[in-house]
Order: sequence, then C-alpha cells, then structure tokens
Amino acid sequence: MSGSDVSTGRPAAPKSSPRWHAHLGAVPIIVVFFALIGIYIGFAPEVFLRWPIYNSFLVTIPPMLVLSLGLTLVIAAGEIDLSFPAVIALSGFLFAFCADKLHMPWLGLVAAIGGGALVGVINGWLVAALGIPSIIITIGTSFFWSGVATVLSGGLSYALNDLTGTVIARVFSGTLLGVPVEALWAVAVAALIWAILNRHRFGEHLLFIGDSREVARVVGINTVRERIKLFTLMGALAGFASFLMTVANLSYFSTQGQGLLLSALAAVFIGGSSVFGGSATVVGSFFGAMIIGMLDAGIVATGVSGFWVEVIVGLVFVAAVVLHTGLGDPARVKALQRRLMQRE
Amino acid sequence: MKLRMSFASAAAIAAALFCGTAAAAPQHKLGAGLTMYFQMGGSPGDASTLPRELGAKAAAKALGVRLISQYSDWQPEKMIEQFRQAIAAGPQCAEIMGHPGNAAFAPLVSKAEAQGMVVTAGNVPLPKLEAKYRTNGFGYVGTYLVQGGETTAAAMVKAGHLKPGDEALEYGVFAEGIRGESDEGLVMGLKKAGLKVYKLNISNAVNADPALSVPILVAFIERHPKLKAIGTQQGLVTSFIPKALQEAGKKPGQIVVGGIDLAPTTIAGVKSGYIAATLNQQLYMQGFLPVVQCVLTKRFDLEGMNVNTAAGTDDKALLDKIEPLIKKGYY
Repeated sequence: MSGSDVSTGRPAAPKSSPRWHAHLGAVPIIVVFFALIGIYIGFAPEVFLRWPIYNSFLVTIPPMLVLSLGLTLVIAAGEIDLSFPAVIALSGFLFAFCADKLHMPWLGLVAAIGGGALVGVINGWLVAALGIPSIIITIGTSFFWSGVATVLSGGLSYALNDLTGTVIARVFSGTLLGVPVEALWAVAVAALIWAILNRHRFGEHLLFIGDSREVARVVGINTVRERIKLFTLMGALAGFASFLMTVANLSYFSTQGQGLLLSALAAVFIGGSSVFGGSATVVGSFFGAMIIGMLDAGIVATGVSGFWVEVIVGLVFVAAVVLHTGLGDPARVKALQRRLMQRE
Repeated sequence: MKLRMSFASAAAIAAALFCGTAAAAPQHKLGAGLTMYFQMGGSPGDASTLPRELGAKAAAKALGVRLISQYSDWQPEKMIEQFRQAIAAGPQCAEIMGHPGNAAFAPLVSKAEAQGMVVTAGNVPLPKLEAKYRTNGFGYVGTYLVQGGETTAAAMVKAGHLKPGDEALEYGVFAEGIRGESDEGLVMGLKKAGLKVYKLNISNAVNADPALSVPILVAFIERHPKLKAIGTQQGLVTSFIPKALQEAGKKPGQIVVGGIDLAPTTIAGVKSGYIAATLNQQLYMQGFLPVVQCVLTKRFDLEGMNVNTAAGTDDKALLDKIEPLIKKGYY
C-alpha cells in the first residue's frame, strides 16, 4: 500500500517550484502518529510499552476507522455525509433484533449492511438526482433515521451476551494470533477502499467529480449514477461499522454512534484529504483515525487532566490541517509570508 | 325508506352512546383537563430515560393528564430552552431537571409560578427553588445525589473488603455542576473509608457514546496497577466498565466496581461478578410521581413532596427478582 496522494486535473506546477511535497502523501500524518506514540511512551511507559492498551485500541478504533475510510471517498467526490451516526443506530438495531429475537445473527449482519445501504441509496438519490446539497440532505436524513431507530427499538437496549463463543462472534470479534480480528477487518476494508480509489475506474470518477463536477459530466462520467453508488457504499460501510461495534460490545444502545460524528470527520481531514474534493489519501485517513482514536486515552495515561482532552484534540486537528495545507500548496504559504512581510 | 330510517336511528343511538361515554370517562379521572410538560433527560429511549418516560406516561394515563415529553440529551442549556417553550405554551404543570442549577432556572420558575403553573423537579434537585415554592407544589423526586454516591461507595467498600490506603478511581461527570454531586458523594464515601481516590472527568464524547470510555479506562488501569476500585454515577458508562476490565486483563473481583442504573449490560456485569453494586434510582418512580404531584397540587393545593427514589444498591440476588421488568424498561 503506497502512501501517494491521488489527484487529477490540476495544472502542472511551474518548473521553478519544488515538487518534492507532491510525493509526500500521507507521510506527514504517519510521522505525527509515530511521534505521538513516542510521546505517550515517554510520559507513560508503563501503559504504552505493554500490550493491553494497544489491544483495546485495536478493538475500539476499527468502527471509526471504517467510517473514516468511507468518508474519504465521499469527501474526495466533493460531498459530505453526516447521516452515518443514524446508520450506526439503525443498523445496530437491525443486527441486535435479528440476533436476540430471531436468533439469526448472520441474517442480522446482512440486515445491518443492507439497512445502511438503503439509507445510502436514498441519500444518493436525493443528492444526485434532485441536486440538493449533501450537507443539507444528510443532516435531515440523520434526524429521520435516528428517529426510526428509536421507534423500532422502542428505546430498549439489547444485551447480546448469548453471542459469546458463537461463530459470528469469533469471526468478527475474536482474536487471530493474539490480534483482535476487528482490526484485521478494518485493514481489509482499508485495502479495498485504497484499491477502489487508486486502481479502479469508480475511484477515478469520484476524484474527477470532486475536482469539477461539470468537467466530469462533459467528459462523459455519469455523475448522478456514480454519486448514488458512492452514498450507497458509504451507507453499507456505516452498517458494517455498526455491526462491528455491536458485536464487539455485545450490546446495543439506541443512541450508539452519536459520539463518532466529529471524530470520523476529523480523522479524514487530519489525514490530509482535501476538504474541497478532488484529492484524497486512504493511508492518511487510516492514520488519522488511529491518532483520533488514541488521543483521549493517551492524554489520560500521561496524567493530564481529562478537561484538556478537547483542547488538545483541537490543536492537533488545526496543526495537521495547517501542515497539510502548507505542504500541499507551498505557493500559498509563500504568498502569505510576502503579505506579512509587506505589512511589517 | 324503512331501511334508511333504521340505519339513521341506529347511527343516532350509537352516536349518543359514544358521546355519552366519551363525556363521562374523563370526568372520572382526577387529572382530566391538565397538561404537563415533562423533561425526560436524555434522548428518547436511552437506558437512563426510558424508565422515567414509561413511569410518566403510566401516571398520565391513569390520571387523565395530557403529557408532553421533552428530551434534552442531558444538555443543561437545552433544558432551560425547553422550559422557556413550556412556559410559552401555558400548561398547568411542568417538571424540570436540576442540571442547569437554581440560579439559571430562578427567573423562569418565577415567571411560571406567576402564571399559576405548578413546577416540580426530578432527577437532580433544585433545593433553593424547592424551599421557595414548596407551598405551590414545587417538590423533588430523585436521588439525594451526594447520599446516593455515598451509598454506592459504602456498597463497594463492603463488597470489595477495601482497606485504608487502597486506590480507587471515580470516573464521573464532574463538569456538570449539581449533577456532579453524586460523583463527589462517591468520592467522599471512599475517602471516608480511607482510600486514595483519583478523579477523572467523563468527556462530552464519552457521555454521548459510552463505548468510547473503554480505552480510556484501560489506559488508566494500566497506569495505576494498584487500583482496587472504580466507581461511576453515569449509567451507560457503568455498563462498559466490565469490558474495559476484561481488556485490561482483570478477572471479576480484582477491581471492585460500583455504578448506577440497570442497563441490560450492567445486569450482565453484575451477574458475571465484575460489577459489585449498582445504585438503583428507580427511574420509573422519577417519572410517575411528578405527574401525581401535579394533580395533587392542582386539585387539592397539596405542597411539594420530596422523595428519595434511591432505595439502595442492587446486587445479584435482587436483580434476579426484577430482571424481567428491567428488560421491559421499567427500571
């Protein structure tokens, strides 16, 4: 898996500009990730030089990671999807109901992914066919599907301890050679999304659309169809993330997923994908999700008061985005420097 | 013609019977004609909200009160906004939660009282307002927060045979003003028993999605290998502590856990031995009794009642008895 960015349609830089930055891709965020690990080890060696904390991360981060990977494609196409927390709630209910009431957990898996895909199809049609901005549609559908999940579940939580030891729990929530399989599934999804974005026509189309929807349409890309497919894929991935979360926790709450909205989005942006669309990095989102997922626990382990967590998350977010902007568009940084020097 | 007249007669008789019955039924219910706005707390259906909602609806149905439910995701500023909306709607009664505090609610309660509204509190108290407006029906139905925390602490000390010098963590909502008093109560109870207590605040993200608490707790446990006890007064976080202990490689009983409420996974945690005791707020009562308060004050001018719904902590034996009700959301 290479860390190269994929961007299309951008005019070539002037020959006098160094292009070394264009090959950096996700390297900056990977450096930040390992630097953070180093800081954690330095301040809390008794925690970060032992396996349990990493095991915990490998169990809890994968759902957010899967969401971030889906969002990477969405953002690459210049869109946004804010309905995934509602899909987490809905798909989690579908799985929990099938597992607990029907005793058919495998049907529940299909229902969870299918339910998410259904939400995605509706989002995609409303956005692409009707032309309504995705931020508006997905805010609205988020409210709607959250409400549906609450109505269907009657507000009840489900304890799914009966799944312990079953095949589905071992396949999706067990361990393989000591590694939580949730993490392996997340890596598999990452590889798939990377292949789609970098080696498949669909990914190329998404980047074209993100760069300029009008140009993409003129060159013959069916932007309506591709965006419907995009949101459907995002919905299915959110459904899978919900299933992973529910089977790992062996419980379902109708409010699950609400805390992941900002985290999953932050992971994509600090990973280096452009908020304007047209370029994206799956490797960046991968490490971005790892950083976001580890921050809270890492800060607690170093002994810093929990009140500082959100301050530090915000600083890391802004610093990462500024770093990516500076490295991705050094001409803009030079122009800013010239402007500041002129003022002085 | 004959058939048409027969049908018309039958329809008229049926209409008369229906109207008569409909007119008669509400008059038998004590709360008929009353409307009550009720702050449920979290979001529809979360484990700490559903029993309260069921209790309020049951009381409203039994007494003939029209109930308007409000959900605030436990956000104090939203509770204030919703009370403002309630006052504007002009119901006869309203139940509010004390999270925003006496000072924040005082001007609005004053306005509501001036309108003749019966206002009462639930889940988190408003002692100053209660003292001022008790004669107008301002009561409180909920746990005595500090006492509830102390009760949980006492249960933990007893169950875990904790000794002076043992280390404990209180993972609580310390940043939420009055709401944090239950966590402070638990801290006090453990300190009284001679334990060294660490305090860790539950972030907004964890409050919304308690599964996120797991790696945080694992990190803390790893950082403090001598930790003997973990307490919390956040219901959903309680249910995830066993998972954190498992991931930290702890067996049941190695670290004593005290929590609150009875989410299904909390019950599983108690049965497995990871959770020693959980404070039972009897949330159903927190929904039921404020509606009764509204009716008793409006009909008979009775004063506000102050009810501590936290009977004590539940352990394995008690849970076996009430588990069927818990699964239906009645606790």
